[in-house]
Amino acid sequence: MNDFDMGVIVRTAARATIPLIGIFGAYVVMHGHLTPGGGFQGGATIAGAGILFLIAFGLGEMKKRYNKHLYSALEGVGGLVFLGAAMLGIGTAFFYNTLWHNGPFFNGKPGTLLSAGFLPIMNLAVGLKVFTGLVSALTAIALWRRWKS
Amino acid sequence: MNGETILPYLIIVPLFGAFSMPIISLAGRKAREAWAVIISGITLLVGSAVFHSVYENGPMLYTLGAKSPFGKANFPVRIVWEVDLLSALMVLMVTLVAFLAVLYSLGYMKHDTGLDKYYTLILILELGMLGIAITGDLFNFYVFLEIMSIASYALVAFRNDTWEGIEAGIKYMFVGSIASSLVLLGIALLYGQYGTLTMGYLAVKIAQNPTVVAKVALAFFIAGLLFKSGASPVHMWLADAHPAAPSSISAMLSGLVIKIGGVYALARILFSIYGSSVNMKTVGWVIIIFACITLIVGNAMAVIQTDMKRLLAYSSVGQIGYILLGIGIGLAAYGSRTGDIALAGAIYHTFNHALMKALLFLIAGAVIHELGTRNLNELSGLAKTMPKTTFAFLIGAAAIVGLPPLNGFASKWLIYESSAMFNPILATIAVIGTAFCTAAYVRVLYTFFGKPSEKVMNARDPDATMLWPMIILALAIIVMGLFPWQISDKVMIPVAKALENQLGYIATLMGGA
Repeated sequence: MNDFDMGVIVRTAARATIPLIGIFGAYVVMHGHLTPGGGFQGGATIAGAGILFLIAFGLGEMKKRYNKHLYSALEGVGGLVFLGAAMLGIGTAFFYNTLWHNGPFFNGKPGTLLSAGFLPIMNLAVGLKVFTGLVSALTAIALWRRWKS
Repeated sequence: MNGETILPYLIIVPLFGAFSMPIISLAGRKAREAWAVIISGITLLVGSAVFHSVYENGPMLYTLGAKSPFGKANFPVRIVWEVDLLSALMVLMVTLVAFLAVLYSLGYMKHDTGLDKYYTLILILELGMLGIAITGDLFNFYVFLEIMSIASYALVAFRNDTWEGIEAGIKYMFVGSIASSLVLLGIALLYGQYGTLTMGYLAVKIAQNPTVVAKVALAFFIAGLLFKSGASPVHMWLADAHPAAPSSISAMLSGLVIKIGGVYALARILFSIYGSSVNMKTVGWVIIIFACITLIVGNAMAVIQTDMKRLLAYSSVGQIGYILLGIGIGLAAYGSRTGDIALAGAIYHTFNHALMKALLFLIAGAVIHELGTRNLNELSGLAKTMPKTTFAFLIGAAAIVGLPPLNGFASKWLIYESSAMFNPILATIAVIGTAFCTAAYVRVLYTFFGKPSEKVMNARDPDATMLWPMIILALAIIVMGLFPWQISDKVMIPVAKALENQLGYIATLMGGA
């Protein structure tokens, strides 16, 4: 065990819970237009799994698995998808929900998963952006501490 | 060209640029810099087109997410963007100065790291300011205000290897958050009372039923936005934040952020939402009193600074005083000729000061870039080794003091004239402020033209990407100075009339039905 992780008990518990936290976060993101919560809340939940990994396994392990360029590129992709979804109906107006009004998909019966036009797409985009952004921010904070352990 | 179809690109283009910046950055430094210049250049084109369209065809209304703001109700429920002539002028100002600041950053930020974040944030800062200028919805305004503020907190603390940047950033963040929460509280009070957030419809509701809650909300707006504009009792953050930021950002903060997030928003709320529903004389005098304090304190504090950027920051406080004075008189003398002139002068000075202060901060940046110091005591004799830079500074300083052939003269003259017509004591205070301002800038010029010290002998004029933005701004100042009254009659007076015309603002919104 190195100096930064939290010991075998915490690591084992984290191994068990990280996938569950991730799945729950993904659920919140995907049902953003139906249930309380949405892209931001779900993305923050998934980021919670990443942060649990960082705390339980330590910074050294996180450095091996975290790629700064990949995460900032993914964050940019999240923003671009959001912007793209908002621009789908630019013929009528910015943010016009053309998928909901005209199809071809995400225009099911209200209350079902494949409804609400661009909202599920936007929730997925925001979820991606929040997850990558929060993990990057917390990793940066962990990297930048000035004291020696 | 149809103005309404291009309006959303004012937001889409910088947003796209900011979001794609991390991906473009993977292709290397050159790609990132080219991308930032291209995006801000396109934004400048869109901004000019919007201004042209509004100038030719009158105010425009854009509804987000539908064709008309009215949904299925008989009052506007959707988020709208409403661009009148004042908004369009602000859009032009923001896109122009932001483009030049980005261009300048290419040379100025050459030796810094983390530039993908820098260019992302600078585009987001521009986006927030454009959003504030065009929005017609109070909560949308708050969102853009926060986008702008948070981007500027981060940019102030961008040079995080010195304690100055961090300290100033934290201080700015605390003060800015307090100011934002005051604004948010005002918005919440209005929404609770009237049940709408659309500015034009809120104006109708307040006119029908001006309650005490609306007045309390107005007090919160004035308090919060005076914080944001750096008016005097609460200017302490500005003198730290603006010097600590990189100079290209200082130019945007002093030239644009305090105008758009402070003075423009204040004018919009006072004239377009409240208008004649409140006692304009009282509110006008409140603004005038703060303006007079700001004018004296800001300019007087500028005289005693030895730090060049700090001097410029205090000078910004002083110039905000003039702008607020114009708005205050415009409010107190609403509907009279004096009011028109004062308001036109305030708007004219907003535009002029954006150009002048951007120029001066860019020059300060060039000096720091060459010499690594901004202490005036060490800059003696700069005119010998950096002649072009010094000449540009001479133009900027003369313009900000208000010498006749330059653009500052006309706008200051309008403010003096109207304040003398309104109340001679105010004119006296304004002239005293200018005396302090002159003293401050003469001191800097005296240093620049003084005996060369050893330190400055190795300095030389900066390279092209830093020099050209300064030249363009100096030329703009000179050219605007050649046609002062034409600009005033053709642009500024109509802009002031558009701002005063509350019924027109409401009609633009409701006429879309």
